[in-house]
Amino acid sequence: MPRSPLALLDNCHRVETPEGIDLVLKPAGLVPRALAFAIDLVLRAAILLVLGSLLAMLGQFGAGFGAILLFVVQWWYMVLFEVLNQGRTPGKQWLGLRVVHDDGTPVGWGASLVRNLLRFVDLLPFGYLFGALSCLAHPSFKRLGDIAAGTLVVHRERPAAPPALPEVAPEAAPVRLTLDEQRALIAFSERHAGLSAARREELAGILAAPLGTPPALAERRLHAIARGLLGQA
Amino acid sequence: MRLSDASLAIRPRPPWEACDLGVLLARRHAGVLMASWAALTLPLYGLLTLVLWDQPSLAFLLFWWLKPLYERLPLFILSRALFGEVPGVRQSLRALPGELKAQLLPSLLWRRFSPVRSFALPVQQLEKLSGQARRERLALLLQRDGAPASWLTIVGMHLEMALWLGLLGLLYLMLPAQVELAWSWQDLLGLTSDWLWIEHLSNLLYVLVLIVWEPVYVACGFSLYLNRRTQLEAWDIELSFRRLRDRLAAALPILLASLCLLLPGPGGTGLLQAAESEPPFATESAAAPAFSRAQARERIGELLQQPPFQNRETVTRWRLESAAEDEHDGSGLLERLGRLHRLWQSLDGVALALEVLLWTGLLLSVGWLLWRYRAWLQAFGLRRRAQAPAAGRPPAQLFGLELAPESLPADPAAEAARLWDSDPRAALGLLYRGMLSELLRQRRVVLRASDTEGEVLRRLEQLREPDLQAFAGRLTTLWQNLAYGHRAPPTALREPLCSEWTRLFGRGVQA
Repeated sequence: MPRSPLALLDNCHRVETPEGIDLVLKPAGLVPRALAFAIDLVLRAAILLVLGSLLAMLGQFGAGFGAILLFVVQWWYMVLFEVLNQGRTPGKQWLGLRVVHDDGTPVGWGASLVRNLLRFVDLLPFGYLFGALSCLAHPSFKRLGDIAAGTLVVHRERPAAPPALPEVAPEAAPVRLTLDEQRALIAFSERHAGLSAARREELAGILAAPLGTPPALAERRLHAIARGLLGQA
Repeated sequence: MRLSDASLAIRPRPPWEACDLGVLLARRHAGVLMASWAALTLPLYGLLTLVLWDQPSLAFLLFWWLKPLYERLPLFILSRALFGEVPGVRQSLRALPGELKAQLLPSLLWRRFSPVRSFALPVQQLEKLSGQARRERLALLLQRDGAPASWLTIVGMHLEMALWLGLLGLLYLMLPAQVELAWSWQDLLGLTSDWLWIEHLSNLLYVLVLIVWEPVYVACGFSLYLNRRTQLEAWDIELSFRRLRDRLAAALPILLASLCLLLPGPGGTGLLQAAESEPPFATESAAAPAFSRAQARERIGELLQQPPFQNRETVTRWRLESAAEDEHDGSGLLERLGRLHRLWQSLDGVALALEVLLWTGLLLSVGWLLWRYRAWLQAFGLRRRAQAPAAGRPPAQLFGLELAPESLPADPAAEAARLWDSDPRAALGLLYRGMLSELLRQRRVVLRASDTEGEVLRRLEQLREPDLQAFAGRLTTLWQNLAYGHRAPPTALREPLCSEWTRLFGRGVQA
């Protein structure tokens, strides 16, 4: 069977800035979003329960205030959190998600209001049927509200401390390396702790011959080159 | 397995992203996945329904229990599609019996309730591990990222439920009102045995939901599995290294040849020496630093302390000493409680004040809205009212004819019939003036003092009264002939004109 000429499947949404820089956003799919929603749902229920029972003791004032509270929690919880907390409701924060515009800019009042008001279209006819189907079928996992508002739920990049490289004397790379190749070399060094010794040897063995190193020393040599690439003395 | 043939971008991802990639994978091959799933499950469901027609719940339970059996089909398709050869529906169905043989019983019995079902499936179906080996493998794979695999199953359960209820809701919304009524009556009368098919229908909806969701579920589990293996075995690094080796192998002969030509010296012909003549840019940074890390950090710290980065200054000035805090001890507790109680009661006053505030706010905002959109309201909302004042001030004269009702006799038609023979001009004029006056008064036609006879006729078209239109046309022609052409109207027209006038406008202006 001939290979299909399709592009490699990847979970990226590329945005090109006017300066010609590619921003890579990672849209978030149905499963993490559903979990985030569930967390928010539980949180909202808890807020209403606690404050509602407190307000119930305050008579008429409590009843009136409770009605306002219900309105605010029901309609503004998502919007306020999204706009004022960098696109993250508590549930989304927990799951490492955030809402942005299609072009990657922070979500604003208009877009957030639209996507959360249209939540009630996604709810139809019951239990988020339309929203779930739209989320499964859209390449960037948008529900109907997201399509209308031009927003995107993306995975947040979490800053990670760079892992320690093995302690070897740095060495200059013997050949000119492309960016991808440099990255692969550095990744090999950074992730060596998570790989089994046999696997490390096998991987390093691939490059032993071109480097002109005996296979047994290849791994050490690669670590040295990676350190050299990172400029770590 | 050739990694370079993979149709996925291989790199280690955070687990949730891997899960999303599974959705994309299922989406790309949705056609064959859903079609083969439907081709397998729909006939099976039909069979179960026929056999267990009287026990819809049992049929449902059986169908649900057998889910691991069907899940092997999508995984077979996905594992092939990953390396570019997507099997057809027929081909996958034919391959299914072979895939089912391995460990079918454990899958259907004690592994049926494993929370990581779709994540563990590739281990037994693709790696063909069993027993101790499988257990160890799974333990290794589940060391990290086991939680998302479980959450995937849990979310999947709820999603199936939500989609199922959604479909039921959709169906219910589509029911005509009569059917609904009959249904409840049937329930009341206890005739529900005829309504078994409703339960079977709802079961069928579940089967339809699975067609959409299960391929996604299997694909997500598969993708999580692939991601974990990518992490453990550094597939992406292997790919890059192989590519680098291939590139270097292709470049090596050229390099060697150019070396022999350019550097015929005694130097060795190893790749290393060849490359050292042109140091890559990345190594410059490695060679450049003249001081160590600690030194650099120190210097950075020094720089950060200097003015452009930090401006620390100490400001000293006088200020008033704060009044001594009045201190209450335990004896004030009762008093405080009393105060709290009073506060409690005063809250009703606060409620009232808040209510007043809210109402004021509402009224103000309504007022503001009205004021803000006054132009729009005038343009669209008040069109009807705008016509009324114009009609309220009818012109008293048109082309020199008096139109005020007071200037007309009580019954213009009768008066005109009387005058017809002696003074036809006065008679016809009376009819015409009477008509215009009645148009203004009864029909509320908007006439302006500047209108001509023809324009009056054209305005009459808007009334859409063909009788009136014809009569007015005839009368206007007669009147113009008499007034400007001095041609008397034929006597024969007296009766029809006067009676028509009476029929259209009634008897008399003041009547």
